[in-house]
Amino acid sequence: MDLRAIGESFIAWLEGLGIPQGWVLLINWILGALIILGIALLMALALIWLERKIAGRIQDRLGPNRVGPFGLIQPIADALKLLTKEDITPADADRITYNLAPAIAVFHVLMLFVVIPFADKVVGANINVGILYLMAFGALGTMAMLMAGWSSRNKYALLGGFRVVAQLFSYEIPIALVMMIPVLLVGSMNLNEIARGQGSLAGLGWYVWIMPAAFLLYFVAALAEGERAPFDLLEAESEIVAGYNIEYSAMKFAWFYLAFFLNTWILSAIATTLFLGGWQGPFVDQVPALGVVYFFLKTLIMFLAFAWVRATFPRLRIDQMMAFCWKVLVPMALALLLGSAIVVKMGTELNLPGVVTNGLMLVMNIVIVLVTLSLLGRYTRTLHETKNKRLFSPELPRL
Amino acid sequence: MSDVTVEKPLPFADAVPGAVIEGTETDVVVNPDKLVDFALFLRNEKGYDYLSNLAAVDYQGYKGRTPEDRFEVVYHLFNTKTGGDGMVMRVRLPEDKPELPSVILVWPGADLQEREAYDLFGIKFKGHPRLRRIFLWEGFHGHPMRKDWKEAYYEQDHKPYKSRWPEGHYAWEEDRAPWADNIIYPKGWDPATHVDPPPVLPKIHEPPVTVEHIKTDRIVVNMGPQHPSTHGVFRMIVALDGETVVGLEPELGYLHRNHEKIGERNTWLMNIPFTDRLDYLINMANNFGYVLAVEKMLGDKAKPPERAEYLRVIMAELTRVQSHLWAIGFLLNDLGAFYTPALYTIEERELILDLFEAVSGSRMMVNYMRFGGVKADVDEDWLKTARDLVYNRLPAKVDEFDRFLTENEILKERTIGVGYLSPEDAIATSMSGPMLRGSGVPYDVRKARPYSIYDRFDWDIVTNDGCDVYARYLVRLGEIRQSIRILQQALEQLPDGPIMNKKPAYVFKVPAGDAYAAVETPKGELGFYLVSDGSDNPWRYHVRSSSYINLNALEHMSIGYKVADIVTILGAIDIVLGEVDR
Amino acid sequence: MVGQALFILTAGITLLMALGVVLARNLFHAALFLVGAFFGIAVLFILLEAEFLGAAQIIIYIGAIATLIVFAIMLSRHVMGKEAGAYNRNWYFALAGVVFFFLLLGWLLIKMPFNLVTAEVPADAIAQIGQGFVGHYVVPFEVASVLLLVALIGAIMLARER
Repeated sequence: MDLRAIGESFIAWLEGLGIPQGWVLLINWILGALIILGIALLMALALIWLERKIAGRIQDRLGPNRVGPFGLIQPIADALKLLTKEDITPADADRITYNLAPAIAVFHVLMLFVVIPFADKVVGANINVGILYLMAFGALGTMAMLMAGWSSRNKYALLGGFRVVAQLFSYEIPIALVMMIPVLLVGSMNLNEIARGQGSLAGLGWYVWIMPAAFLLYFVAALAEGERAPFDLLEAESEIVAGYNIEYSAMKFAWFYLAFFLNTWILSAIATTLFLGGWQGPFVDQVPALGVVYFFLKTLIMFLAFAWVRATFPRLRIDQMMAFCWKVLVPMALALLLGSAIVVKMGTELNLPGVVTNGLMLVMNIVIVLVTLSLLGRYTRTLHETKNKRLFSPELPRL
Repeated sequence: MSDVTVEKPLPFADAVPGAVIEGTETDVVVNPDKLVDFALFLRNEKGYDYLSNLAAVDYQGYKGRTPEDRFEVVYHLFNTKTGGDGMVMRVRLPEDKPELPSVILVWPGADLQEREAYDLFGIKFKGHPRLRRIFLWEGFHGHPMRKDWKEAYYEQDHKPYKSRWPEGHYAWEEDRAPWADNIIYPKGWDPATHVDPPPVLPKIHEPPVTVEHIKTDRIVVNMGPQHPSTHGVFRMIVALDGETVVGLEPELGYLHRNHEKIGERNTWLMNIPFTDRLDYLINMANNFGYVLAVEKMLGDKAKPPERAEYLRVIMAELTRVQSHLWAIGFLLNDLGAFYTPALYTIEERELILDLFEAVSGSRMMVNYMRFGGVKADVDEDWLKTARDLVYNRLPAKVDEFDRFLTENEILKERTIGVGYLSPEDAIATSMSGPMLRGSGVPYDVRKARPYSIYDRFDWDIVTNDGCDVYARYLVRLGEIRQSIRILQQALEQLPDGPIMNKKPAYVFKVPAGDAYAAVETPKGELGFYLVSDGSDNPWRYHVRSSSYINLNALEHMSIGYKVADIVTILGAIDIVLGEVDR
Repeated sequence: MVGQALFILTAGITLLMALGVVLARNLFHAALFLVGAFFGIAVLFILLEAEFLGAAQIIIYIGAIATLIVFAIMLSRHVMGKEAGAYNRNWYFALAGVVFFFLLLGWLLIKMPFNLVTAEVPADAIAQIGQGFVGHYVVPFEVASVLLLVALIGAIMLARER
């Protein structure tokens, strides 16, 4: 069964009813948008439950278990609770900006769902510039957080806003660079094409095997882009309380929460598409619907990895976070991109077979990881030697 | 003046002439005019580098006292290099002009304690840079620890509750003064022309490196009293330059209930459960400190039997283990570890609290120790559980925490070099406990002035030269191991016998006099300075709170670090607001 | 038909946003209107089937430039206050300049002969753009990047602590 066929037969059925073609397209679009929206929102509830359950197990406790079987209804109960809570707007807040920010936060994540290929050709919009589109709407999220941070007129929110700019801007660079590497290999920015390009060698064609360093880098940078520990400085509870969303309550807070979880899921989905073969898997050519299953499975595994890291690591400090990005990740991403370009060009110029190119790529990746790790080790060692890291120290009053 | 004092010259008379009015080598009354000179002499020549306790006492109405020496400020000084019993320095002040020079320049650790004495007694310390009220608000009328200050509802002539005065003796303030007139303004204060005083701002420490062309604004952030990382209702007014802290001012008093005043109203015995409420994580240690101080005044007749001494040490060391576990777990939480390490350490802590509950009936408010013994004996089951915990479970778990946390790259990055406090500064600011030993000063009350039976056990003081948060973390980890060592020996040697030296009495009289006794709690030196007038409740009940005094160095430690670091630095002090605010 | 309506709608919104940039009294609001205007332009590009340009518009103008502008405003004085004034004493000079520039643009628009080519959009427009950058237009491309690099280093030098 082909998922694509369902859509086509639906269009044919609508046309059969005698509706003009423009309207048919419009109805189709609206329905598609609604389906994606529904999937996204339902999935967010499931993800919240899952993350809480996983964090609970990691922390040696049960997690939600009161509402419904295994606490499955807990997120819905939470959502209902948030709906009934008082919706507070601070008296001094900039009302329009303040109320617009959570909407934009959710909007930008939902927009990202449009280009994710759930199975072969099952994409909201199969556009050529898929990766560029992801980056573009990812940047919009920064805007939403900045607006929230500024308009709340709260000093913690403002500090959170500063951190948003510092962190999300910085990590956008390595993540964008590393997302370009699969594009180099496939020769297309279309996400479906990229997923299809990893079909060779029965699973060994996944880019995670060919370029593990790029995948690793993507994972680390995605932790930062998704505001997850150890990079959750934007809403660091123990420091700036909740950062940019400190003043938000009730449903407006829920929207930020939703955006946060969906963002993590999107980052997992991108990782799946770019590095884990997307919808590729056994028998997917015969039964295309299996692609959806494989895709969601892989994304779930990525999501669990995110949740695992979040429940395990303490947080970095802001200067360490910035230094890590600019001194480690960006040079590594640049080296990877350059190396990949050379290898790909070599492959096409010398007419090397695919296996050889892939092998070269793997070697290049391993070398870059080793070099980075050794540099990283030296860099952290020098930090350990400086005993007193503060900028200046005042003298105690003494006689 | 009798002939005896003429023959025997006053101590230190040749060093600082005219400073000492009377006294012995270790307990002197000092002339306030010569206080700073004498203090300098004691610090530089005699080696008393550690001002442990500073307490004020109001002797109004005390036998043998006149308005001329109504107030007394007591300094307890110790030597961190040699240990020993230290010395007591007293300054007597008249009723009409309670003023004396501040010793903040000699011992910077006098800072918060002098402010406390100013707040509660109205004693002015000349030369103190910010002599403001610390627990009470600026508009508070009077100084509540003075004997002539009447507490509303409890000590005043009319009582507010009808139910308590069925005969009709009650009078409501509102009945006596009609609506809107029931406010008494201070003299010379007019609400129409009143302008609020400017809010307290932290002193800004200018960085030595200034950027010439770029002028940056500083923002002042109130961290607390409602903040997840201030460990209670504690407030830090922080001046930030970007994310760098350039000024910090602690604001306390949100949990202030004037513990010491209530302590004066209680009988001696009633104060034992009351000490549980000081630092509610280390209740056994609080009990221990208080009973030691009272036993010191009672003398030999209150000496506890052997079994009770062992039980006290066992409980105190179990307290240390559980408190340090808590501190380590929540230090990681302050670092942003999303509760995982905290929940694992709490699991072990719960096992210890189970033991407390089994022996005292309560997990936290234990009310366990008594003058001359302990309240309840332990049975064989309890000992079996305790042995299993101490020999098998806890050592393995400590090793596990060590393995998972100590070498964690992020933990090291975040804590090494953070919150630097040099050994000299640590002593000068009266740090105690892991704060002091984390700066490489091997000072532990259990070794410096062994109390109870600590001199019988074989254990080491844990120090670390890192002087930073990481060093304090390592000291805590090491102290858990040392406590387990002591526990193993104590459980091994626990003798049979009675647990009280005589039949317990509810009300009894304590001989007149004063005493200072301190124990090494997990947080530091917890001291009790008690004055008795021979009646059945204390004349003065002062708590030398380690959490409170450890805040002396908070500003000094935090300047120049990032916002995220001050949370860690505060977490490494491990304050509990119940004891800070009292 | 539908396309035309969408174009008019988007263009109208974009113009309104642009007006908002100029007229907003609050500097932060002006910056947000700017974001809206950029977004409208991106939508226009997409309506013209120039998806690459649309995405690039969002990445560069909203993701980078507008965010930096907003950040700069947040860092500037009185950020917590109600009003961040948009006018200063020199506003009439600015008005004169703007009117002149507007007239110039209008004149150019009228005088400029636009060569309208009606042809299919090539399927791999992005690839052609990329090849253009590193092929035919490599010199201007590299000169521009060197210029940006110089600006970057200059900014760092200016802001560096001595």
